[in-house]
Amino acid sequence: MTGHDHDHDHDRTVKPMVDEVTDFEVLEIALRELCIEKGIFTAEDHRRMTEFAEQIGPTPAAHLVAKAWVDPEFKKLALAEPMTASKEVGVDWMEPTGWGTPSDFTAFQILADTPTLHNVIVCALCSCYPRPILGNSPEWYRTPNYRRRLVRWPRQVLAEFGLYLPDEISIHVQDSNQKHRFMVMALQPEGTEDWTEDQLMEIITRDVLIGVALPKAGVTTNVITDTRPAIHPGAAG
Amino acid sequence: MSERIETLQEIVERDQVWPRMAAKWGVENPVPPWKTSLDGLCDALDHASCDADVPDFKERRDEEDVLSATVYSTLPYPENQLVSLAHSLVARGIIDEAELKQRLARVRDRLEA
Repeated sequence: MTGHDHDHDHDRTVKPMVDEVTDFEVLEIALRELCIEKGIFTAEDHRRMTEFAEQIGPTPAAHLVAKAWVDPEFKKLALAEPMTASKEVGVDWMEPTGWGTPSDFTAFQILADTPTLHNVIVCALCSCYPRPILGNSPEWYRTPNYRRRLVRWPRQVLAEFGLYLPDEISIHVQDSNQKHRFMVMALQPEGTEDWTEDQLMEIITRDVLIGVALPKAGVTTNVITDTRPAIHPGAAG
Repeated sequence: MSERIETLQEIVERDQVWPRMAAKWGVENPVPPWKTSLDGLCDALDHASCDADVPDFKERRDEEDVLSATVYSTLPYPENQLVSLAHSLVARGIIDEAELKQRLARVRDRLEA
C-alpha cells in the first residue's frame, strides 16, 4: 500500500485536537437538548441556524466593496440598493428562513466615506452587526466599553485601534438599531488604482468594514485589541 | 439574576476555558468548536421568544453583559456568553438547576463512553 497516492496533505489533515471533554461543550449540548425537549425550538431550527452561523464571514462584504471600487455603476447600486448588491456577492439577506434570521433584520445600508467624512459602526444597545455579509462580530465590538465610549469619544477610541484621523475629517458614528444594519465603504487607497478585485479584497479587512481601520496596501489583518471592563468614568476618578 | 448558581459555579472553578485547553493540546483555533452551535442556539431562542416564555434578544444580551461583568468576570469570551445564557435560563425558571445538573452528567457520560 502506497498510502500517498491521494492529493491531500497529511500535515494539514492531522492538526492537533483537544482530546478531552470540556465542561463548556457539555453545557452547550445540555442546554440545547433541554430547550428542544421543552419544545422551545426544534432540532431542525437549531441545525438551520447553526449552518447559517458556520458559513458567514467577512469575505462577501470585502468583495462588495472591492467590486464597488472598480465599478462605479456597482458602487451606485451598492449605495442605492444594498440588498440587491449583496445578492451579487452571494448574500441573500432573506436567508436562512425566507425572512432573514431572528437576530439580523433585513434593512441594510452601506455608509460611504468621503475625503472629509469617516464612518464607523457600533451598536450602543447590544451587539447588532451585519452578520449575513460580515460574519460574527469580534469580541471587542460586543463589549459595553466599546459601545459606550465610541459614541462619546470616537476620535480617541479610533486612536486606540491605531486609527489617527486628522481634525479636518469628521467622524460619523452610526448606531445600529433593532431595524437597521450598516457597514462602511472606505475610500480606495492611493496606489491601488490598477489592482484587481481579488487584490483589493485582501486589504478590505473586517476592521475596515466596521470603520476602525482604513485600507492600506500591505495591511491584510485586523488589529487585535484587548477588551476592557466597562468602568463608569465617574467611578474612575 | 446575579445570585450564584452552584452548578455553573463548579464549571467556572474547573476552568476548562478554550485558551487554556487549546494551549494544553497545541490547538490553534481562536474559538472553541462549540461556538457556532451556541450561535445557532441563541438564534433559535431569539426565534422562539415571540411564542415561548424565553428572554428575547435584548434581554438575553443585557443579562449577558451584566453577568459577564460580575458573576462570570473571570471567564473569557465566548465561555462567558454560554454560561451567562445558562444562568439566564436557570434564573428565569425555564431550566431547573437540578435538571441541568443531571443532564450535564448524562451528556458527559455519553461523550466519554
